[in-house]
This record gives sequence, structure tokens and C-alpha cells, in this order.
Amino acid sequence: MIWVETIVNGMLLGGLYALVGLGLGYAFGIMKIVNVTQGDFIVAAAFLGVFLVPWTPVHPLLVIVPVAAISFGVGILLQWLLINRVLGQDPIPQILLTFGLAIVLRNGMVELYGANSHSIDVGELRFMGFDFLGLRLGVLPVVILGIALALFAGLHLWMRRSRMGRIIRATADDHQVAQLSGINYRRVYGIAMGIAMALSAVAGVLLAMRGSFTPYSGADRLLIAFEVVVIGGLGSFWGMFAGGIILGVTQLVALKLDPSSGLMWGHLMFLLILFLSPNGIAGMVRR
Amino acid sequence: MPLLEVENLKVSYGDFQAVNGVSLTLDEGQTISIIGANGAGKSTLLNAISGIHGQKTGTVRFAGKDITRHRADRIARAGMTMVPEGRRLFGSLSVEENLLIGASAGRAGQWTTGAIYELFPILGELRHAVANSLSGGQQQMVAIGRALMTNPRVLLCDELSLGLAPTIINDIYRCFGAIRSTGVSIVVIEQNVTQAVAAAGYAYCLLEGQVSLEGPTDMLAMDDITAAYFGTEKTE
Ligand SMILES: Nc1ncnc2c1ncn2[C@@H]1O[C@H](COP(=O)(O)OP(=O)(O)OP(=O)(O)O)[C@@H](O)[C@H]1O
Ligand SMILES: [Mg+2]
Repeated sequence: MIWVETIVNGMLLGGLYALVGLGLGYAFGIMKIVNVTQGDFIVAAAFLGVFLVPWTPVHPLLVIVPVAAISFGVGILLQWLLINRVLGQDPIPQILLTFGLAIVLRNGMVELYGANSHSIDVGELRFMGFDFLGLRLGVLPVVILGIALALFAGLHLWMRRSRMGRIIRATADDHQVAQLSGINYRRVYGIAMGIAMALSAVAGVLLAMRGSFTPYSGADRLLIAFEVVVIGGLGSFWGMFAGGIILGVTQLVALKLDPSSGLMWGHLMFLLILFLSPNGIAGMVRR
Repeated sequence: MPLLEVENLKVSYGDFQAVNGVSLTLDEGQTISIIGANGAGKSTLLNAISGIHGQKTGTVRFAGKDITRHRADRIARAGMTMVPEGRRLFGSLSVEENLLIGASAGRAGQWTTGAIYELFPILGELRHAVANSLSGGQQQMVAIGRALMTNPRVLLCDELSLGLAPTIINDIYRCFGAIRSTGVSIVVIEQNVTQAVAAAGYAYCLLEGQVSLEGPTDMLAMDDITAAYFGTEKTE
């Protein structure tokens, strides 16, 4: 039973990992841009959460709403003012730009907050648990998985059904030809990056509620995001979700067997999957 | 005043100049064609007019306004769009979604999805099919439909016959009558001379980036066209 509990807990954590990857994968799927800033931005959003929680009415969990809204705006401005200027055939300028921004962001946070670890206080929710089919589960991890699932499903539906979702998909297919239908793809890119950053920010806040973070956590977060996106098969929604679950379960099972292993087994699992199927899970299913 | 007026347009890719000073005019309701061999610069010219290609000098005036430096999306919203070479549909979108993207230009008019399905009934049956799964001819119909959905005043068509069987090419060109009757002015680019001459009232022949011959299609002799097309001396 203890193993079932470990696996279920791994899935709860994995849903959040999937959300960490979603923002990066969404931006990549649409613009073929790897926004390296997203790792450190996840941490910045957590600091923003710490700052806003005291002003959040009803319940601290709701802090994700203002953090997501602010991050949406930051994403749009980042795209419109900076990344759009370096778009082109060559991906290097855009990677250098976002890499540079990530370093500035990280050093800014170290300067402001030092190297100490922080976390977002959600009150007693953090310690509440319940029994389910003989398993002892935490309320917060289950709520967080619910939020992650809702965001995946919501984004998927919005992309399929809404007018803006359709425009974004068309722009992803061929941004040049989209212009012939009156679409300003740079503006669309801004909205896509806004959504991507909002998703990353929510993931950052939820991670900071489940655990703790320091200004240096960005590199780890970015690595998880990369692994989720690559395991999932670059841009496939449900592939990414499965990728997150695989990482989460692997990590918790490995920690049980080898308590000092940290994230190592998750990374090894990533390499194994990459070796078996270079196109990730979506590639496996398609075959 | 012509609806579209191109004056001494020069278009380059880096150091290479592919169009060397082309001038042409299109009147409201008129159809003109631009013919030329492989690599003559036809697509380059059309991409520059539609705003997709930015490295150019000269003037493009549309409805009396200088639009030379306008972006393609702005030109499309003003009423001039293009059916690009090779169709270039949004491959992951359905037929209907491709058409609805055309409506993003935000121009009111008689071209709606219903009107497109009347023009190409097969597309009505395939409306939920993914664009990538269609045949070449059907894809060309979607590409034309998508452009019409912007309710353009000027429709630029880049080699509609590319890679299609002769009977299908005829089917495609048959829709021109219906399109013209809604008041749309058309520029057709073709390698296929017969098709282009039949479709238009006035033709330009492009050779190495320059106009080598132009005139009303009923005044152009086939010999002259052949000479201008291949850049050879006329055989006496
Ligand atoms: N992206 C590009 N970069 C550099 N040169 C190009 C590019 N596209 C076209 N060219 C060159 O510009 C010239 C004109 O090409 P263009 O595609 O306009 O010809 P075209 O008349 O449309 O030919 P086709 O009938 O084969 O479509 C050719 O010499 C071609 O090699
Ligand atoms: Mg061409």
C-alpha cells in the first residue's frame, strides 16, 4: 500500500511538473522560440506571490489570479518590446537575449532577497490530509493537481474553440501567410507569450506553496520544464501532461529507494525516454 | 485612377536583385496576368506588392494611397490579398477554420463561408476535414476561398495551376467568372501561357526581372509572347 501511496503522490507532483513545462512548451509550439527566461521567471512569480499573499482576500490560494494577470502583461511586453526585435531564421539571438534576461533577473532577486529559502504560506491547508481508499493524501497536492488539470483542459479547449485560439493555431502553422488574412503575427506572438508566462507564473506560485525556493531555483525549474516538453514531444498538450507525471512518479519512487538521489533518477528517466523515442511520447503514440 | 499602380519596383534578396524596375497598373474590375518562365521574378514581384517581401524600392499605390512600406497584414485589411504560391494552407486547421481565418481581416462583404461553399461545393462536404488531408486541387480551392474571405478589392493569384492536372486547372479557373462578378479585380501569375492569356484582358511578360512585353491579350501574337517569354529572337 505504501508503494501505491508513493505512486499516487508522484502523480500529484507530476501534474504540477507538467504545468511547469506547459508555458515553455506552449511558447515553443507556437513561435518556435525557447524562452530561457521562463525558469527564473517562475521564481520571480513566486516572490511576487509571497509579496501579494497578505493582500489576497478569501484564501491565499487565490493569489495565483493576480500573479497570472501581472505575468500575462509582462509576457506581452517582453515579446513586443524585446523578443519580436530579434525574430528571424536564426534562433541564436533570441536564445542569447532571453538567457541574458534570465541572468539579470536572477541576480536582481539575489540582490533583493539574499540566498535564503522562502515559501508561500497557505495556512493550515498545507498540513491538511484525507483518507481515500485507504491512502493518506494531502489536500494541497490534490488541489494543485486539480488546478493543473483545469489549466491544461481550459487552454486546450480555448485553443480549439475560440476565435483567438484559431488565429494562434494558424499563426503557428504559417505566420507569414497569416498576414495575408490581416493578422499581425507579432501581436499574436505577444498574446501567446503572455499566456505562456502566466502559466509559468502559476506553476511557480504553486511550487512555492508545496515546497520552498531560493533565487537560484530557476535553473532546476527550467530543467524540469525542458524535460516535460521534450518527453511530451514538443508542443503536444497531453504528451506534456504525461511527461510531467512520468517525472513526478520516477522522482518519488526513486527517493523512496535512495533518499539522497534528489532529482537524479528523474533526469535519467528523461534520457532513457529520449533514447527510446527521440520524438517523445507523442512520437511513440503516433508510430 | 487605377486601383493598383506599381511604379519602377525593384526587389532584392540581399545583394541579388530579382525584380529590376517593373511598372504595371490594374483598373477596378480588370483582370491582368503576368507570365514568365521559371525564376523570371513573378513570385518575388507579387510578394513585394502584397507586402510579404520588404526589401524593395519604387512605389506601390493601392486605391490612391502609397502602401510601399505597409506591412502585409495592413494591406490585407485595406483590401488587397494574395493566394500564395504552393497554396500554403494552415495544415493543422480544418477547411472551415482555414476559411474563417480569412475573415480575420475584418472586412464586410458578400464572401462568407456559405458563398465559398456555393462556389466550390466540394469544400462544403469537406468542411471538417483537416487541410493537409485534401488533394492538391481541393487545397487550391481552400486557398482561393481563404483569400476571398477577406473580401478583397484586389486578389493576387500566384500560379494556381502549380502541380495540378489539366482538368483540375480548368475547374479552378472556371471560378474566375463568379469572382469577377462580385467586383474583385484580379492579378494572375502563370507559367502556363494559354491559361493566363485566356483568363485576363491584359498581360505582362516578365523576363529576368523586367517586363519584356505587355499588351491587351487579344492584340498579342503567340510568336511575340514566346520570344518575350524565353528571351529569344522572334523567328521570322
Ligand atoms: N528567398 C530567396 N533568396 C534568394 N533568391 C531568391 C529567393 N527566392 C527567389 N529567389 C531568386 O529570385 C529569382 C526570381 O524568383 P521567383 O520565385 O520570383 O521566380 P518566379 O518567376 O516566381 O518562378 P516560378 O515560376 O518558378 O515560381 C530567381 O532567380 C530565384 O532564384
Ligand atoms: Mg513563383
